[in-house]
Parts: sequence; C-alpha cells; structure tokens
Amino acid sequence: MRDMPSEMFTQLVDAHYAPLFRFALSLTKNPADAGDLTQQTFFIWAKQGHALREEGKAKSWLFTTLYREFLRGRRRAERVTALEDLGPVEADPPAPEVDLLTGLDANLVVQALQEVDEVYRTPLTLFYLQDLSYKEIAGMLEVPIGTVMSRLSRGKAQLRAALARKEAGARGKVVPFQTPDARKLS
Amino acid sequence: MNNAEAKFILQGYRSNGTDAGDETFGAAIEQAGKDPALGEWFARQQAFDRTVSAKLEQIAPPADLRAAILAGGRVTAAGAPRRAWWTHPAWLAAAASVAILLAVTLALWPRSAVAFENFALADAGNSATHGGHGHETGEFQAMLSNPATPLTGKLPIDYATLHDKGCRLVQFQGRDVLEVCFNRNGVWFHCYVARKADFPRLAIGSIPALAELGGAALASWTDGDHILIVVSKSGRKNLESLL
Repeated sequence: MRDMPSEMFTQLVDAHYAPLFRFALSLTKNPADAGDLTQQTFFIWAKQGHALREEGKAKSWLFTTLYREFLRGRRRAERVTALEDLGPVEADPPAPEVDLLTGLDANLVVQALQEVDEVYRTPLTLFYLQDLSYKEIAGMLEVPIGTVMSRLSRGKAQLRAALARKEAGARGKVVPFQTPDARKLS
Repeated sequence: MNNAEAKFILQGYRSNGTDAGDETFGAAIEQAGKDPALGEWFARQQAFDRTVSAKLEQIAPPADLRAAILAGGRVTAAGAPRRAWWTHPAWLAAAASVAILLAVTLALWPRSAVAFENFALADAGNSATHGGHGHETGEFQAMLSNPATPLTGKLPIDYATLHDKGCRLVQFQGRDVLEVCFNRNGVWFHCYVARKADFPRLAIGSIPALAELGGAALASWTDGDHILIVVSKSGRKNLESLL
C-alpha cells in the first residue's frame, strides 16, 4: 500500500475492529448494520484518518467517527435531550446476582444493553468495552465529565432492570418436550 | 465526600483496573476501603461490571468483517488524496509563488504511473460493473485468455476498433481506457489498455513493473503504442505467471 502503510492499517483493524463492532451493535441493534458501520469507520480512516499526527489518538478517533457516522445516518432523535430531565436514579434497583448473570448467554446481555435508552447506552457501552476512560467518553460525546458519570449511573440502573427481566425470562422458559416417544404419542 | 458522592464517582471506575492511576477516583476508593458498606457495594459493582464486560467480549464480529475492512480500506486509501502538513493554508500561501515557477518545469516532467495504477486497482475491485460486447472484444479476450499468448510481447491491439465496437471503456484523467476481463487457468484478470499518446508524460517502462496492494497485484508496462496494466485480485504469483 503506497498511500498508507499496509501493516499499520492491518494492525489498526486487528486492534479495534472487534470492540468497534460491539459498540456499533449496541447502537444499531442489528449485526448487518453494525458491520457496515464498522467498515465505514475504517474506510473514513483510510481516506483521511491516517493523516492524524498522533497515532495514540487513533482509538478515540475511531470510536468518535463511528458514533458520528451512526448519528449522521440515523438523524438524532429529539427525545435524546428530553431524557436528561428525568428524575433521580433509582437507588440500586434489583439486578440478577453476578453468578446468575455469568450464566446468561452473551447475546441476552447485549439485548439487555440494547434496551437501555440510547443517551445512556452510548456511554455505558463504551464504559463496558473498557477501551476509553470516562474523560475520553466525555470528549467523544462532547459533554461534561459529570454528565458522563450521571449517564453511566442511569444507564446501569436501566441495564440492571433489563437484565433482571432477561434472567427471569430465561429462568421461566418452558423447554418443549421432544423425545421420540412424545412424538409418537402426539 | 459522603457515600452517595463516592458511589457516583466509583461507578465510572473500569473493572479492568485501567483507571487505577486516575486521581479522580483516589479519594472515593480510599473511602471504600474504610467504610465496609461502601466497600461491599463497590466490590459488587465491580463484579457486575466485570461480568458485563466479559459478556460483551464474547460477542464475535462476523467472520468476514476483518477481511472486508482490510480490502475496502486499501481500495479507499488508494483513491484518497493525502492531506499532509504542507496543505495547511499558511504553507500553501508561502508555496504559491514557488508553485508558479515549478508549474512550468512540471509541465514537461514525466509523471508517475501510480495514480493510473491506483485507478486500475480500484476499478478492478468493482468487477460487478464490468462487461463488454462485440466480436472484436470477444477475440481480444480470447487472445488474452490463451496461455500461449505472451502478454509482454507486442500484442495486436486495434485500439480504435475495440473502442468503437463494444469494449468496456473507463475514463482516467478525461481519457478513454479499454478494460477487458480475461481468464487463464481458472483465474480472472483485468487488462487496461490506454493509448500512450493520450498520456505522453506518464513515466512507464517497457519492462513490466510489479506492485502489490493488499491481496491485489498489478503489472504495468508499455509496448510503445499502448500502456497496459493487468490487475490480479488473486495475488502476485498468478500475475507473474502471465509475464
């Protein structure tokens, strides 16, 4: 690759495409759209991002670009700002115990995350991906640090509630009786 | 700092310990160490966060996503203009007067074939849009596909006829370029043919120059009358077997 070192691009993709995809999945709620959004982010990098003078900022740049592309594609809902005016966070709402949570399928956890309101889901997903600090998340979302903390707090409350529902649903799920004998009788 | 404030801060503390050096958390962590109830809450919180992070980590991207990003990124980069420090307006202004002098020189200076090669690579990467028709195009394609045809020899190319009778045309720098896909031993190649007279300042030799871009490879040369670029999306070895 003449315009950009091929090795550098490959390293960048290998280091970040999986967490970027997970972040995109939480935003789009759809694997195909998440894949497209992740690709689009790297294509923008290939076109202009490699001109960044500090390579250490590549990670933040990629996450920020992906998020902006998502917003650009979807058009920001007016509801986003309205959610900021909600009341105080419920104090430690019920959540499944960690060992029960451990037993939950990863896809169910992602589904629960996707049920969190977007304004909280974005910083919360970034927090759980653990690639960016709360300061970097604040910079990316262009909000004060306190707002990020507040959104994490509310987001976690919503996530706990959603996980509790998923866990209860998984526990109460009836498994169909499908032995060969049962088929004969029916 | 009371416990409510400490909780507010601590729930932003990543469970992988990355934030250990961040002073913002220092006082709250210290307080969690002294207050058993807060300490227990923090431990639960961290265990919960750690589990959610681990679950997210288990979500695997689609198997073909990495390859698609690498391939697409390279094609994008090939067609992208580079923005460098000297594109800053201040430098541009300073360079303007020099540019006027250089323009005269550059008008007569041989130009690199890189842009043309990148153009061919990008076009070859979009082969779903390719296609041509006509007897002459078919004959030309058959000749290229024939393993006995040495591509680097003087090929009997009737540019004008191919141009007028159905060969696929693409435009590079405002000039028509012929494009024909051909298959040798089950491998597809893309051949681009331009008239040398249309690109008089393009620096290109009679010995094929090989270049690679990701998984694609290309060879470019001139037979004196034409510029030829052959692109292989299946790697350099397959391309070298043609030459």
